[in-house]
Amino acid sequence: MTVRRVVTVLVTTAALLAVTAPVAGAYEPVEIVHTEKVQAGPYPIVIGFSTWPVRAMQSLDFTFAVDGGVDGKTGVLAITAPGDSWREPLARHPRKRDVWGLDVRAMQRPGDYTLTFRVDGPLGHGEGALTPLRVLDQPGPPMALSWGISTLPLLGLIAFLAIAWRRTRRRLSVPTPSR
Amino acid sequence: MERTKVRTATTTAVVLLLGALLTLTGLTWDVQWHEDVGPDTFFTLPHLFLYAGSAVSGIASLTAVLMTTAARRAGHAPDPTVGGVPVGVFGRTFTAPLGYLVAGSGAALFLLYGLWDQWWHGIYGFDAVIDSPPHVGLLLSIAMTLVGSVVVFGAARDQPWGRTGVFVSLAVLAGFSTIIAVAFQDVSDTVDSMHVAMAFLVLLTLFTGAGFVRKGGIAVAIGLALVQALSWWFSPWATRLYADSVGLPMRDYISGVPTMPALMPMTLIIVALLTYPVIGLAARWAPLVAGALAGALVVTAQAFQDGVVYDVPAPAVGDLLPTILAAAVLGLLAGHLGARFGQMLRLAAGDRPEGV
Repeated sequence: MTVRRVVTVLVTTAALLAVTAPVAGAYEPVEIVHTEKVQAGPYPIVIGFSTWPVRAMQSLDFTFAVDGGVDGKTGVLAITAPGDSWREPLARHPRKRDVWGLDVRAMQRPGDYTLTFRVDGPLGHGEGALTPLRVLDQPGPPMALSWGISTLPLLGLIAFLAIAWRRTRRRLSVPTPSR
Repeated sequence: MERTKVRTATTTAVVLLLGALLTLTGLTWDVQWHEDVGPDTFFTLPHLFLYAGSAVSGIASLTAVLMTTAARRAGHAPDPTVGGVPVGVFGRTFTAPLGYLVAGSGAALFLLYGLWDQWWHGIYGFDAVIDSPPHVGLLLSIAMTLVGSVVVFGAARDQPWGRTGVFVSLAVLAGFSTIIAVAFQDVSDTVDSMHVAMAFLVLLTLFTGAGFVRKGGIAVAIGLALVQALSWWFSPWATRLYADSVGLPMRDYISGVPTMPALMPMTLIIVALLTYPVIGLAARWAPLVAGALAGALVVTAQAFQDGVVYDVPAPAVGDLLPTILAAAVLGLLAGHLGARFGQMLRLAAGDRPEGV
C-alpha cells in the first residue's frame, strides 16, 4: 500500500512536470511595446523596446530593425551612459534573428543615454543617434536593503568561523606541527 | 571506525561533494550559455544541474543529520569523525554533525534565495546579471554548502578519503569563489577590485589547505588547475551541444573564451610553489608574508592572463601598482586567516568544542 502510494506520488509529480515543463521551458517571444526612429545616413532604423519607459536595472529587449534587413550590413552600437560609455558590434537578437538587438539587457544607472549607430552596407557608411534615451530611477526596494538581505549567508559564515575560532583558540595557542 | 560505519560515512560525504560538483558544472555551463547563446527559461539544462546540485547536497546533509539523531536516540554516542562534532539543533530535538549542519543550512538557504531571486526577476526582468543581489545570495548559499563539505571531510582526516575530500572541496570552493569576485567589479576605478577579491578568496582556500596538512596548499592549487582545465573544455562544448540539440543558434561575435574558467588563476600552482618555502617556516609571521607575496603574484599574473586569453594589451606596470598593493594587503589577511582555518579544520572531529 505504501509502495503504491509512493509510486502514485512519483507518477503524479512526473506528469505535472511533463505538462508544465513546455510552458516554463518555452522561450519568451520578443514583444515590442514602444518604438523610436533613427536615421543613420542612408539607413532608417526602427528601435524597439519590450518595456517602456526604460528604468534603471530593469532588463528589457531592444531591437534595431534596419531598413532592408540586416543581411549584407554590419554596424557598431556606441552607448554613452551617465559616467560610462562602451561600444559593441550590432549583433542579431538571439530570439528575433531578422533584426539586430540586445536581449534582456538592463541600463544600470538612471539618466540620459545616447545610442549611436554606425552602419556599413551596400549604400555606404551611415551614422545616427537616439538621444536622449531617458532612463528613469530603478524600481524595487533600495539597493542597501537588497544587499543586506542577500549577504545574510556571508554574515552567517563569518559568525560560524568566528565562533569556531574562539572555541578552538586555547587548543591552537600551542603550535601543532602539520602532518 | 568499523567497516559499515566507514562505508556509510564515505557514502554521505561523497554524495554531498557530488552535489557540489553538479552545482559547479551547472554554474560554469549556465554562465557560458548566457554568453554564447542567450535565451533563458526556468528549465534549461544548466539550471537543472544547479538546482539538482543543491538538492543532492541538501538530501545528503538531511540524511546524515537524521541518522545521527536516530543513533543518539538509540543510546549510541555520535561519532565526531562522521561529519564533525555533534551539535544540538532545536534544543536537542536533532543532533547534527557540524559539517552537515553547515552544508544543509546552505542548501536550505539556496531554496529561500531562489524565491527571493524569483521575486527579483518579477520586478527587474530576467536579466542575465550574475552579480545581482539575489544571485550573490544564491552563490553565498552554495559557498556555505562547500564550507560544510570541507568540514565533513576534514572530520575524517585520519582516512585517506577524508584528506582527499578536503582538497577537492577546497579546490571546488576556490574555483567557485572566482564568480563571487565578479560582484566586486565596480567597487573601484583605480584598483582591479574583482582581481583583488578573487585573489583573496582563492588564497584563503590555498592557505586553509596549507594549514590543514603540510603540502595541502599545493594540493588545492593542483585541484583548482584540474577544475579549470575540465571546465575550460566542458562549458563551451556543452553549450554548443545543447544549443544544437534544442535548435538555437549561437550569438554573433562570440569570443570563444570559456568565461568562468577564465576568471580562475592559471598560475596558482607556480604561486604556491614560489611561496611554499616561506609558508614552511615555523615563524608566526610566515603565513602573513607568504600571503602578501602570493596576493601580489596572483593579481599580476591575472592581468597578463586576461591579456593573453582575451587578446587585449596587458596593463602598464605603473597602472597595476595600486592593484598589487591592495592584493598584497588582502593576501596577508588571507594567509593569516587561512592558516588558522586549516588548523581549526584539524579539530573538526575533536572533542566537544570548548565552552559547550
